[in-house]
Amino acid sequence: MIEIDRLTKRYGATLVVEDVSFNVEEGTLTVVVGTSGAGKSTLLRMINRLVEPSAGRVLIDGEDTRTIPEDELRHRIGYVIQGYGLFPHRNVADNIATVPRLLRWDRKRIAQRVEELLDLFQLDPAEFAHKFPHELSGGQQQRVGVARALAARPALLLMDEPFGALDAVIRSKAQDDLIAIQRRLGATIVLVTHDMNEAFHLGDRIAVMDQARLLQYATPAELLMRPADDFVERLVGTVERPFRLLSLTPVREALEAGHAEGEPIAASESLHDALSRLLWTGRKALPVADSSGAIIGRVSVDKILQHGRPLP
Amino acid sequence: MTATSLVRLIAFLLLAAFITMPQGFAFLFEPLIAPGAPAIYNQGSLLVLTLQHLRTVCLATIASTVLAVALGIFVTRPSGAEFLPLSRSLVNIGQTFPPIAVLAIAVPLVGFGEKPTFIALFLYGLLPIFENTLTGLTQVSPLALEAARGMGMNARQRLVQVELPLALPVILAGIRLSVIISLGTATIGSTVAAKGLGEVIIAGLQSNNIAFVLQGGLVVALLAVLIHDGLGLVERVAARKLGRFLNEVP
Repeated sequence: MIEIDRLTKRYGATLVVEDVSFNVEEGTLTVVVGTSGAGKSTLLRMINRLVEPSAGRVLIDGEDTRTIPEDELRHRIGYVIQGYGLFPHRNVADNIATVPRLLRWDRKRIAQRVEELLDLFQLDPAEFAHKFPHELSGGQQQRVGVARALAARPALLLMDEPFGALDAVIRSKAQDDLIAIQRRLGATIVLVTHDMNEAFHLGDRIAVMDQARLLQYATPAELLMRPADDFVERLVGTVERPFRLLSLTPVREALEAGHAEGEPIAASESLHDALSRLLWTGRKALPVADSSGAIIGRVSVDKILQHGRPLP
Repeated sequence: MTATSLVRLIAFLLLAAFITMPQGFAFLFEPLIAPGAPAIYNQGSLLVLTLQHLRTVCLATIASTVLAVALGIFVTRPSGAEFLPLSRSLVNIGQTFPPIAVLAIAVPLVGFGEKPTFIALFLYGLLPIFENTLTGLTQVSPLALEAARGMGMNARQRLVQVELPLALPVILAGIRLSVIISLGTATIGSTVAAKGLGEVIIAGLQSNNIAFVLQGGLVVALLAVLIHDGLGLVERVAARKLGRFLNEVP
């Protein structure tokens, strides 16, 4: 678990981060969201001590990060930045091997790890291991950047606007890939973004920051139903609120018995997707299938709409 | 084989043939000389002089490179930043001071021969290497450096594993410039009795023998072109890995 405890950063008289505390559970993805200049990046950089806190502390599994030598701490925390900062003079395999090499792993273990990661990120080792960063597309560079950060199996992964340099189509694919990899590895991730859609798409919990302060730290659903103040409410987007709520809820939550015509929808998909299919096809209900493909019931427009408003 | 590498090969063979068997080219220079004067330099072996010339240039360039690169690294560290203006002016003085004046001052101090030439070339060669080292190190992508720091590289690891490899093509360009300047400048070393191709030129001037002057000049020029070309190739190999500069290296 990562405990952020009353973290503060001051530059002269300016407070960049003011008294921020929250805990990140192991194996979860926490998104820090806010407008630019809200102090999100500084907060993130205080976790791996690229910025020294003026006050407060960070505990990783109960260990105060100030007691660990800086470089050693950073070997244990993965770090991905916008633009990735891949080393242009090193090929993909050598880029990924950066931290294992700093840790003096033996050659065979490094080669094994690199291959494993390339496979995990759907980059064919035979094709990509020896390519240089300038020979990769934006999406491939992004994957190499994340693979490099994960190479030494860090306890925590910090990501600062990791999708900021990607175009919209590749971005949503990269976000889905990140979720899949996070679930698979059980990684603990803290991700900074200014994009509310991204925050709702990715976050198990969302921390909303504005003007150096943490306004609310909650699950996406809580953020929608019980925003802490006007700013959070505006940031969440009053108009999109019901749709965001629907995209957070899986179809199985609105499952009802009965029969419906049409192509079945998977129980794990969101109500948002279900509603979209219903609107497009003009039907009142869709059959629902479980992961094996067997029909287990149906989902109807009325039932979906009930989930699009706060509980009384 | 491409046309350029063919030209390179021909130039190299021509040079090698001329310095090892200069008599074979006598017919080319005979029209230029007074009757009875020797058509080919006859006061020593052209091959030995060429090698000595190259030796002086090579030693001076190595010394300039070591000092200029070390200085460049030092003034781009946080601890050395305040010495940047001072080092710049020192290196600039080395460049603005005419080599011939350096020779005149150095001879009384270190005597005649190779030493004063070495000093003049060393001082003259500092500036291009120093300036290029600065440029190379300061243009390293801040993103790559931030990533290096974020992954736990210490200052020395960042310098050796990231900054220097990325600055290498630019530093090499500075060394190339320095070598080319030194190759030409080294000829004046012969005025203070340093062994080198300047001897051929000076012998020609003293005996009013155009053929000698031409021979000394041509060998230096061919050497310069070939070395320029060769170092350019090395730079391109270093730069190709980075996927840039490809069109900037001539």
